[in-house]
Formats: sequence, C-alpha cells, structure tokens
Amino acid sequence: MEIKIGMNVLEANNLVAARNQDIFQKDQVFVLNIMSSPGSGKTTLLEKTIEALKDELKIGVIEGDIYTDRDAERIKRHGIPVVQINTYGSCHLDARMVREVLPLFNLKGLDLLIIENVGNLVCPAEFRLGEHARVAVLSVPEGDDKPVKYPVVFRESEIALINKIDLLDYFDFNLERVKKEIKEINPELEIFEISCKTLEGFQPWLEWLRKNAQR
Amino acid sequence: MHESAMIDSFVQIIEDKVKEYPVKKVTKIKLKVGKLTCLCPGTLAACFETVAQEKDLLKDTVLEIEEVPLKAKCKECGQVFLVEENKFFCPFCQHPHIQIVAGRELFIETVEVE
Repeated sequence: MEIKIGMNVLEANNLVAARNQDIFQKDQVFVLNIMSSPGSGKTTLLEKTIEALKDELKIGVIEGDIYTDRDAERIKRHGIPVVQINTYGSCHLDARMVREVLPLFNLKGLDLLIIENVGNLVCPAEFRLGEHARVAVLSVPEGDDKPVKYPVVFRESEIALINKIDLLDYFDFNLERVKKEIKEINPELEIFEISCKTLEGFQPWLEWLRKNAQR
Repeated sequence: MHESAMIDSFVQIIEDKVKEYPVKKVTKIKLKVGKLTCLCPGTLAACFETVAQEKDLLKDTVLEIEEVPLKAKCKECGQVFLVEENKFFCPFCQHPHIQIVAGRELFIETVEVE
C-alpha cells in the first residue's frame, strides 16, 4: 500500500521561524541573522556596530557557538543584553533554539536584535530563524572565490559585508571580481565593503541599520 | 554535518503518519532532495540506515532518493530553466532577477507499507 506524505522536512523549521517573526513584528524589533565562516570578524563587527549605535538604538545580541561563551562575554562588556546559545555539536542555529531564548530578552525594549550564527558558510543558510534580514560576511583573507564556492548563503541573504578591506594590499583579493560574482549569484544583494579595524566603509552599514531599525 | 538531525525529523514524520494505518513495516520511502540544499544524499542514506536498523518499522526500508535539479523561472521573460554552474541569471534574456522553483527541498513524497 502506498501512503502519500507530501511534506518538505525543512518546512518544520520554517514554521517556527514564522512564529518567531510574528513575535518580532508584535514587539517591533528588527532582527538580523549574521552568517559567515569562522574568523571572518562577526563578533568584532558586532562590537564596533554596538559602539557606534548604542546611544541611538537599543540593541540586543544572541550569540551562537558550538562551545564556549567567549563571544557573549565580549558583547557583555559593552553593557547590552546578550544571550549565548551553545549547540554542543550542531553546526548552525535553528528557529527552535532562538525561540527558546527569546523570553530572556525584553524584546519590546529593543530596536535591534542581532543574531550571530555559528561560524559556518554552509549550513546556516538552510535554517531561517525568523530574522528580517540575513547578512553574509566574507573577509579578505578568506579569498575571493568563496561566493562561487558557497553560493547558497549569498543567495539566501539580503546583505553581503566584505570585511577586512584594510588588508587588501596584502592578499590577492580581486574586489571587483568578487562583487561581480556575488551579484551573479544574487543581483538583489546589497554589498558593503568595510574594515572593522579602521572603520573604513562603516558609515553606509550603520546608515542601513539605522534606516531599518528605526522603522 | 546535520543530516542526522534531518533524519531524526524525517523519521518522526514517517512514524507519526503511518500510525494512522494498520502498518507492520515500511518497505520503501521516496524522498526528493534538492541539488542546492546543504544535504548530501549519500550521508542522508547512511544516517537513515543507522537510525532505521534500531526500529522494527524501518529496519527493512529501502530509501529511494531522487535528486532534484536546480530550476528557476525568469521574472522578466517567464522561461523556466536549469541553473547550471551556479549562474543565477536567465540564459534566454540574461535578466538577473530569477525565482528558484525547484532544487531547495527535502521532500517526503510517499511511503510503501505492509
């Protein structure tokens, strides 16, 4: 006997993500999901963003890592609410993990909630968390062929940040080619070129955040 | 990788569904796996085998996986085409705005049971 199932397994996470987004809509908080390889500079990006905007926007952070709370400890020093999720093996956050920590925040009191995903340029792209926008971070030392090698995360994001541009003179990184290839994968992706060290290029990124978090 | 977490969800769905019928065992599961998911069919099959061998319902189940190619529809000219070499633009009119219509799923089609 044949039984028809007709179900997309990946939908289960999407349903929880949709419920998360309902919560974010109700509490009027703009939510970002930041995805990248380990070491691209996500946590430093968050620190510099918080330093620049914390007098204008109420910011909260969810940190995702397999182990340790080192990233949450760094964020905590900036005096903003942060919760660390440890997956103890899973290579990405999923919507259920995020849903479980939301009660630890006063979401109504936040303008912006930033979720720093587990460092991984592959799997996080498959799992929506309920975010309003997804940010793919690529850094200069990682190489300029990463978008074509890992297209899904760029296809599934709204923003691409090319970080560590202060190191362009030290690496064979063809910035124009990588931007062209990113646009071939996702023409609607907005690209910001930044350095979290020198803060070159940081203003357009901050402006984008201000515009979206203050709606 | 997270194929094992996917298999756990997938086995749960199958077990919940077949509960509605007088089933002794599942003989076949037909699964569609999209080419642009971060899931490897070989790893999925291996993880399934590991989980299934512990369950009377699933220990003789054949997992039939169909890989679904990545297809998109051009928002400009409406043509549907295979996306090859991760070139996400229309090969007919070169328009960059396309919508993916297949190739991103982990879809349980049917199960055969006794």
